[in-house]
Amino acid sequence: MKPTDSEAMPPRDLISDLTRLVAEPPQDFATRVLQRAGIPRERYDTYVRLDTPGGGLFVAAGPQAVTGSALDSAGLTATAFEALHRERTHRSAVRSGKPFPGVVTALRTGRARRLPIDLSGFTPVEQAVLEAVRAVPAGQLRPISWIAREAAVPAEVVAGALAMNPSAVLIPCHRVTYDNGAPCDSGFLPELGDALRAAEGIDRGKTEERRSQGVMFLGSDTTRIYCHPTCAHARRITPPHQVPFRTAREAGRAGYRACKSCRPVTV
Amino acid sequence: MHHAAVIAGRRALLTVGMWQESASPGVGGATLSPETVFLSVMDEKAERQLTELLAVDLDDGFTELVRVHERAVYAFLLRVTGSATEADDLGQDAFLRAYTALCGYAPQRRRELKPRAWLMTIAANVWRNHVRTCTRRPTAAWMPVEDALDAWTDDGPGPAEHAALADDQRRLVAVLLELPQHHRIAVVLRHMVGMSYAEVAEVQGCAVGTAKAQVSRGLSRLRRLLDSETSELKEVTT
Repeated sequence: MKPTDSEAMPPRDLISDLTRLVAEPPQDFATRVLQRAGIPRERYDTYVRLDTPGGGLFVAAGPQAVTGSALDSAGLTATAFEALHRERTHRSAVRSGKPFPGVVTALRTGRARRLPIDLSGFTPVEQAVLEAVRAVPAGQLRPISWIAREAAVPAEVVAGALAMNPSAVLIPCHRVTYDNGAPCDSGFLPELGDALRAAEGIDRGKTEERRSQGVMFLGSDTTRIYCHPTCAHARRITPPHQVPFRTAREAGRAGYRACKSCRPVTV
Repeated sequence: MHHAAVIAGRRALLTVGMWQESASPGVGGATLSPETVFLSVMDEKAERQLTELLAVDLDDGFTELVRVHERAVYAFLLRVTGSATEADDLGQDAFLRAYTALCGYAPQRRRELKPRAWLMTIAANVWRNHVRTCTRRPTAAWMPVEDALDAWTDDGPGPAEHAALADDQRRLVAVLLELPQHHRIAVVLRHMVGMSYAEVAEVQGCAVGTAKAQVSRGLSRLRRLLDSETSELKEVTT
């Protein structure tokens, strides 16, 4: 019995046991090394992994601003994130235990608009589009034409700029839809977009239903104002007073004016 | 203190030529799958980028060095010392020594470094020095009461580590600490850090054949120790 046992435990077993013993260093190991060596803080970025409804989110930040973030749900490992970050920004991101101030709150509330995000590596057009996306409030959806108008750029360039998003979740590309109302998750997998939207209280069934009926706007017959259906004011309209519209022109002809909060595209 | 790192660096440089000759695929490991060959090619490319960066901009290069190799250095020290606190301290020390050494190097010399083997040489030296100091001057290990209070619970693997490691793995960790120093370093470098025999030889400052012998002796000793432990356990339970 004994000899067969040791035969059945050939070198490979021991070696794979050995390779499995590798452990991660403490979170702040690298940052402590750099601090003690006296490397100035602005020479490198630090990153943390935070939990979001779409899975773990790596958030890298310099001393002044967030420089990038990526969801790990597509099988992105910490080392792969570091390599990608290095490739894109030419800055090293080292692990750290301390998130950039305000990031945790921004992720919890979905309000990341005031968070400083470094977009200096992008063209003016891309910057304008990404800034416009940041202006979409939590729990609301906006079509591409709206983004194009806010950013003052042609609608064709919007999708390209969205795909360049350096900061998943913090720049809320999941709140952008095509002009027919279908979500345009250009940066990540659609399931992730659904998870992020569901966490913000956007009902997928309702949006699908409106899209199939071609309803783009909701008006209220008491105020005679029409909104995007996910606008905070549209959500307050009680069902008996809801008036659906397919186009802004249709609403205008019916004597409705556009909401001044969600500013639907009128032309 | 500083000299050890510099000497280590010189030794690393001397062996660079030898390493390059023996670095062709199939020589380092026993059997290399296409995947490992691909990985080692990728590693080589990354190392060349890293040394180029070190030569051009020391601060940026050092940050990148820490980012790429912190896991390997820490894992090596953790398994060699068997204690997370010591691995942390010695790891910090090793990187600081590397930085001071790099500051004194000319750009050309930084370009010719083999970063991983060089760092591991420094880490191994730091650990050997530490062990020597502790055996020669055991009083040096004493600390003021305030510090000792902090370190009280940190001696050895904590509850988190216990939970993370399965029972047989924990036994393996304990048995690993019974190996003689040079065997332990060779086994850990080869099979946990994943270095080639040529790199292990460079760290150990010996011939490639000697490094292979060290790894194989270390492994067989490990196996023997594990076997004797299991048989003891069986005797106890029956």
